[in-house]
Amino acid sequence: MTASTAGAVARASVPVKLLGIALAGAAVSIALGVYGRVHDPTGEMPYTLFFSDTINLKVWFATAALFLAAIQVLLALRLYDKIHVPRTAPPWLGDAHRLTGVVTFGLTLPVAYQCLWALGFESTDTRILLHSLLGCFFFGVFTIKVLAVRTHGLPNWLLPVIGGTVFATLVLIWTTSAVWFWGEFGFPSF
Amino acid sequence: MGFRRFVNVIEIVTLVVALGFVVALFANEPSGGGATARSGPGYDVYLANCARCHGQDGQGGVGPKLAGGAVVKAFPDPADQIRLVEDGEGTMPSFKNRLSTAQIEDVVAYTRTELK
Repeated sequence: MTASTAGAVARASVPVKLLGIALAGAAVSIALGVYGRVHDPTGEMPYTLFFSDTINLKVWFATAALFLAAIQVLLALRLYDKIHVPRTAPPWLGDAHRLTGVVTFGLTLPVAYQCLWALGFESTDTRILLHSLLGCFFFGVFTIKVLAVRTHGLPNWLLPVIGGTVFATLVLIWTTSAVWFWGEFGFPSF
Repeated sequence: MGFRRFVNVIEIVTLVVALGFVVALFANEPSGGGATARSGPGYDVYLANCARCHGQDGQGGVGPKLAGGAVVKAFPDPADQIRLVEDGEGTMPSFKNRLSTAQIEDVVAYTRTELK
């Protein structure tokens, strides 16, 4: 195989990689949506940890996840040299970016579990439908981001676009849940 | 290098926890005790329409607590509770277009007599 042929194969494989990653993300989103629709919601509040109520746990976990996601975006901006604070990027910046992403994802798990298992995919009103759709979309696009990070040879613009989409989705999920809760029931206690 | 190893460990732990949640979605069906032991038309309507806010045992959640006589105290006359369920109020949605009159009466009776 000549160098030019190898290059052509590599170039041709990018759409295939993108398609595979997109399909994997779509499969996750659809699987969650189907589960939420088919599963009979239990209405149970399965855990409270150190909070007084499951709902309070969800609001605070979602808020903490959003806070960490915002930090992750800032770290990404520094990694891409879009901001210059600190002036010299420390060597652990990439690992810190990964850690905030992992912890953010971990915080969303108990929230999403209670949503899916106890409440299901609902379309009672616009907010709930939007929240259900965004919740399923979030884990799909998060899957795409994780796969894109670990796949070589993808376009440079892909990660910032996917990362931005993950963050924007999280903001919308938080707005249609935690912000709604604050508006309706007041600032939640622990 | 130490920090990277720490992040790797956290990543693996989180992945395992995520898989655990996925397994729990399919394995963790409602327990046999408590409210799930109840049955009847009022219970079915309650579980499908009310439990998500008021909790499966009426312990409260997004919506106020109903159990322990709380709903009877709030609505000494069942007709007032039926009216609230039909028309809604504040964040409580209206159910008159979603449930039949008989279903509303069943669920109101259920919340007043079965949610201890």
